Amino acid sequence: MNSLLGIARRSAWNRRSTLAWVVVSLALATALLWTLERLRHDIRHSFSQSVSGVDLIVGARSSPVQLMLFSVFHIGSVPQSMSMDSVQQLSQHRSVSWVVPLSLGDSHRGFPVLGTTPAYFQHFAYGDKQPLVLQQGAVFAGNLDGLYEAVIGAEVAHKMGYGLGQRITLGHGMHDHDHSHDHEGAGIDEHADKPFKVVGILAPTGTPVDRTVHVSLQALQALHLDWVAGTPMPGGQIPADQARKFNLEPEEVTAALVGLKSRAAVFNVQRFVNQYEAEALMGVMPGVALGELWSVLGVGENALLAVSALVALVSVVSLMAVVLAGLNERRRELAVLRAVGAGPRHVLGLLTLEGVWVTCAGVVLGVLLAQAGMALATPWLQQSLGIRLQMAMPFPTQLAWAGAVFLAGLLASLGPAWRAYRLSLADGLSPRV
Amino acid sequence: MIDIEPLRFAWTRAGADTLALGRLHVPPGQTVFLHGPSGCGKSTLLGLLAGVLSPQSGRVSLLGQDWAALKPGQRDAFRADHVGVIFQQFNLLPYLSVLDNVTLPCRFSPLRRSRCQSAGGAEAVAQSWLGRMGLSEGLWTRRADALSVGQQQRVAAARALIGQPELILADEPTSALDAALRQGFMDLLLQAARDAGSTLVCVSHDEQQALRFDVQWSLPALQQAEVPA
Repeated sequence: MNSLLGIARRSAWNRRSTLAWVVVSLALATALLWTLERLRHDIRHSFSQSVSGVDLIVGARSSPVQLMLFSVFHIGSVPQSMSMDSVQQLSQHRSVSWVVPLSLGDSHRGFPVLGTTPAYFQHFAYGDKQPLVLQQGAVFAGNLDGLYEAVIGAEVAHKMGYGLGQRITLGHGMHDHDHSHDHEGAGIDEHADKPFKVVGILAPTGTPVDRTVHVSLQALQALHLDWVAGTPMPGGQIPADQARKFNLEPEEVTAALVGLKSRAAVFNVQRFVNQYEAEALMGVMPGVALGELWSVLGVGENALLAVSALVALVSVVSLMAVVLAGLNERRRELAVLRAVGAGPRHVLGLLTLEGVWVTCAGVVLGVLLAQAGMALATPWLQQSLGIRLQMAMPFPTQLAWAGAVFLAGLLASLGPAWRAYRLSLADGLSPRV
Repeated sequence: MIDIEPLRFAWTRAGADTLALGRLHVPPGQTVFLHGPSGCGKSTLLGLLAGVLSPQSGRVSLLGQDWAALKPGQRDAFRADHVGVIFQQFNLLPYLSVLDNVTLPCRFSPLRRSRCQSAGGAEAVAQSWLGRMGLSEGLWTRRADALSVGQQQRVAAARALIGQPELILADEPTSALDAALRQGFMDLLLQAARDAGSTLVCVSHDEQQALRFDVQWSLPALQQAEVPA
């Protein structure tokens, strides 16, 4: 068999351009599957880490996913708000450490506006309990002097080109994002009479926080002083400065984030919320609701997986075509080997050796390619898509895909080789090609 | 050396017989010229002699060994030890050197390798055969496909002869050569086979060469295909 190694090596070298394409084709398939699998996992991971450090999200009773979507992702709506009294009651529960009320409903150029308290920036966390960090400026003061101050997310600052001190005006309602982009600056800002000043810009998080404009609850109250039932009060404009003289404490908010002194109390507090008598409330554990939400989005995930599998199939088929195209070349070679005394086990050894080598090279190259590609793309992905790729150990599923490509590649190269071998047997002494 | 007992061979199970031969015997060292029109089964007969094809009935023996009595693996080993083959063309592995092509049978046949030992090893024997075939030393280390067709056939002859196999089968070895080269090639092949003491069965259309062989077989004349069994 030792002598066969030399022949195998030189035979392969003789067909190096064909084999190089086979290796490249396998490498691309492997790289694609490897990357897609990593992306799939990391998107899921990023998603599941959109909120952390929050033990419960409390809002008016609706569906958990709906409350989650609205309060964390600022998508959709909730049918009812909850009263500030309930928020107060909740914060006095003995197991509760902090409560941060959230008020949603307005937007700025398609970016949602979140009314909250300065405590939000202290308690809200994402990923692995990473707190929000200010890249520039400071949090809004939360008092009357700083009434019209806003803290914007990284994406808002980046996309709109905003810096500290920028004056922005808010629009009423959650406008469709794309729509308002088309009409940038077209003047749909119904709250134009009360402009805000950007006082803080948050560092990127890869979560919906990046796309959010944060203002104080009182500011939202001030904006809507002269509004009744969702429309401006006719003839009753209240100027921005005058608004400070009114009572700006809100009576109701959209939802509240709750942090507990001990996680162990979470079911207790949840029961307290769900059985709250003054109004119909609901407490949702973010992890559970995110899981539910992801199972809805799982359709997209499966589609991604299906595409990956198709890509792998296509590349294996093309690999088979390449190998089959080189078959005649091999037929003569095998006939010569048989004529000088090579037995079936020699011929099969030769073919197997090459198949294994080529497939190995392809898969290894593919993995290296994918890792290098991901290392290069990580900053960009984080910045523009908010996906954090992790340069961790490969997942079992990634290894499984690589293994599948290896097996498929092996079959694709051994199948035609086996045929060549059968032909060389049937040819008798001289190859009829 | 070669013993054929009345045999029948058809390519397909249901098809008409391609070959139907009576009893034939070739003593050791004899040279046989096998001729006949295209498609009459000359290459098929070589395949039967080499044990790569098996007759539906009858028997082909080499050195007293019935091919059919051997398992496929044993048949390959027996062929590697005792049979050298020259094709019409494409005899060589293009990516090996001329010398490596000639020593190829010694890689697969321990018997032929050991026969070379007394003469200084496979490499030395290969060099001496190449020299006798008129291939200058400068060509020995070149890639096989760098040689002309005529040179390649002579390399193929050297390879068939290395380790002195008892039987050399040549399937139209000169048909890819110019007329001017054929005579020279046949001279070399016949002389080398006699020197090695090998039996030579050579298929050829070139009947001018026929009388230089010990025996001439016309395949149509040997055929009994039309005779009912």
